[in-house]
Amino acid sequence: MELIVALGLIVFKVALLIAMLLLLPLPLTWVERKIAGHMQQRMGPMRVGWHGLLQPVADGIKLLTKEDHIPAEADRFLFKLAPILALAPPFVVFVAIPFGESISVLGNEISLYVSDMNVALLFVFSVIGLEVYGVIFGGWAANSKYAVLGSLRTCAQMISYEIPMGFAVIGVVMLAQSMSLLDIVRAQADVWNIVYQPIGFLVFFIAGLAEAQRIPFDLAEAEGDLGAGFHTEYSGIRFAFFMVSEYVIMLLVSVLAVILFFGGWNGVLIPLPPLLWFALKVALFIYLFMWFRFTFPRYRYDQLMSIGWKVLLPLSMANIILTGIAFI
Amino acid sequence: MLRARDRIGTWIGWAFFADLASALALTFGYMFSRSVTMQYPDKEKWLPYSRYRGHHFLKRDDEGEIKCVACELCARICPCDCIEVVPYEDEKGNRHPIKFEIDTARCLFCGLCEDACPADAIALGQQYEFSSFSSRDLVIGRDDLLAKPGKAPTGGGVVAARLNTKKDVLVETNEPQGYNWWRNIRRT
Ligand code: SF4
Ligand code: SF4
Repeated sequence: MELIVALGLIVFKVALLIAMLLLLPLPLTWVERKIAGHMQQRMGPMRVGWHGLLQPVADGIKLLTKEDHIPAEADRFLFKLAPILALAPPFVVFVAIPFGESISVLGNEISLYVSDMNVALLFVFSVIGLEVYGVIFGGWAANSKYAVLGSLRTCAQMISYEIPMGFAVIGVVMLAQSMSLLDIVRAQADVWNIVYQPIGFLVFFIAGLAEAQRIPFDLAEAEGDLGAGFHTEYSGIRFAFFMVSEYVIMLLVSVLAVILFFGGWNGVLIPLPPLLWFALKVALFIYLFMWFRFTFPRYRYDQLMSIGWKVLLPLSMANIILTGIAFI
Repeated sequence: MLRARDRIGTWIGWAFFADLASALALTFGYMFSRSVTMQYPDKEKWLPYSRYRGHHFLKRDDEGEIKCVACELCARICPCDCIEVVPYEDEKGNRHPIKFEIDTARCLFCGLCEDACPADAIALGQQYEFSSFSSRDLVIGRDDLLAKPGKAPTGGGVVAARLNTKKDVLVETNEPQGYNWWRNIRRT
């Protein structure tokens, strides 16, 4: 009996997680367009619903009813596989992400995470690394030069950014003496990691921008020079898959930044419910992502490479060494 | 010495992302400035200046008679050859057009017809909303041209408007004078 309840709870949590992640891009696109509009002294969507609130729904219907086009010379199997490969890993990663300790519902304590892995951080980085296959396959299968160029850039970008990103979080792991995200947050109950690890955060954040393929590092889909990069040839629902995956990764990087460096659900000064604190911090990071997008131009390809290898990698190494020295 | 210090200052600025931060500050400031969007069909509408060259109209004189004397100068000068005038003589012996058609689909709104007219009978007004699904509907006859609104003495402003899709697609306004939209544009 207890087993069934526990299993049911897990299924319920996973279903809730999937629903949340699938639906979250809708308000996020609206917010992004509003922010873009106001930064450019426009208003953004205004016509569908109150202040354009129903615009994402209209866009969703449009995407669903559009022709699902596959180029004639495309590798049909890979072409169909790629959007799923791009969408699945970001969803899987959220299994390991805690959103808080627990809440009590009807007298029962329910934990706000699906599983508390002891190697959660490793799991996150290895699974999110798989997402790049979707992008590479998508660009390759479309048999279009823009798409190939886009996925080519993605390969190089991923290699040069996952490494500094991985090194940047080692400092955090050293501080918490654990790879479990739950323990990492607990270790920050008094002082947030950002105080001890400013360089680590900087490297993590810049690499995270590249990971989420947001401006200034959105070379894979640089609409100015590549059409739309790896998803140039995608339309309709398959394009929506890429779109959703992009937003989920943005959310993931924000969540990771909050958990690793900004104390997770630990609040300061104002006593708010932990879940609310967590959501507020994540929202702040998402706003930061969008703010960056509408402020900075895109880096050139070689600049991106040299930032990754010549600046971020030495910085993250130095961060590890400094943290080690501080421990001794 | 001074240059060396300048260079060090630049380097320190780079190290702390001073240039990026100032860019972020700029966009943040814009985020809370007024947006200049004219919500055209739904809420607002632009009234053009009176010098604007929009839809043509034919004028009447004080007795209510059509001013045009059907001299066909406008048809001659028109670079697009889109005016067709057929004259007739009324009972008082005055010459007037029996047919006066402008093909606004071909017209380029140069205003030469207005300049050429010796009788000050034709002018280009401020109306700019006359799109149509058929180019045949854009050939405007004499009586329609007489009924078109003339030039308003004021213009150049945004007025409240609303979209009416009951019968036709119409953007209705009832204010003659609008606010100055250019005032809102932030210049830095
Ligand atoms: S505005 Fe120019 S193009 Fe149009 S009818 Fe007059 S002369 Fe012809
Ligand atoms: S509108 Fe003026 S120029 Fe044209 S035919 Fe009449 S009087 Fe002549």
